[in-house]
Amino acid sequence: MIKNPSHPQKAQRRQRECKFTQAGIEYIDYKNADMLRRFMNDQGKILPRRVTGTSAKHQRQLSTAIKRARFLGLLPYVADNLR
Amino acid sequence: MSKNYYEQTYIIDSVLEDDQYKEIVDKYRDIIEDNGGEIDEIDEWGIKKFAYDMNGKSSGYYVNTYFEAPGELIEKLERAQRIDDNVMRFLTLKYDAKMLRHRELQKKNAVPQLQDSESEEDEE
Repeated sequence: MIKNPSHPQKAQRRQRECKFTQAGIEYIDYKNADMLRRFMNDQGKILPRRVTGTSAKHQRQLSTAIKRARFLGLLPYVADNLR
Repeated sequence: MSKNYYEQTYIIDSVLEDDQYKEIVDKYRDIIEDNGGEIDEIDEWGIKKFAYDMNGKSSGYYVNTYFEAPGELIEKLERAQRIDDNVMRFLTLKYDAKMLRHRELQKKNAVPQLQDSESEEDEE
């Protein structure tokens, strides 16, 4: 928790606006796989809201969109990146 | 009979010949039209590689359809697709008001894009 960068301290947390709100996106399309990939890590996991700054409303939509894209084989469930 | 707006993406097995894809696409178009549906657009994406292996295959032929139809049609369409061995997967979505607005923008080619912000690199 202390030194984990994905759990920023309150003081260093930067207020950031949700990207979807900024762009004025109302519906997140599952067909836009490249855009969705930006909200996943290299293992194919969905990044948490505290990392991306996405609003709760859009994060819910985002996760459904990613899951739909996964079902259709547009995105991986797990990406086996050799490290 | 009220109609709803739907979108369906399905994946055809890529072992088939080119003209066989057309046959399958026509078959589902006919099913939609014969059951009181109205096609808005059929977008064939062609052969795409999967992000993971599906039924031991690594690619498939994607077809994306937009149509307006009564709800009873979906049942028939999906039953036909479930039986069809050539259709590997399908996803049908019923459009709500939000999605319809998005679709209008999409038709005008005016869907807002995410900005490439400077904060890209500190995003893990």
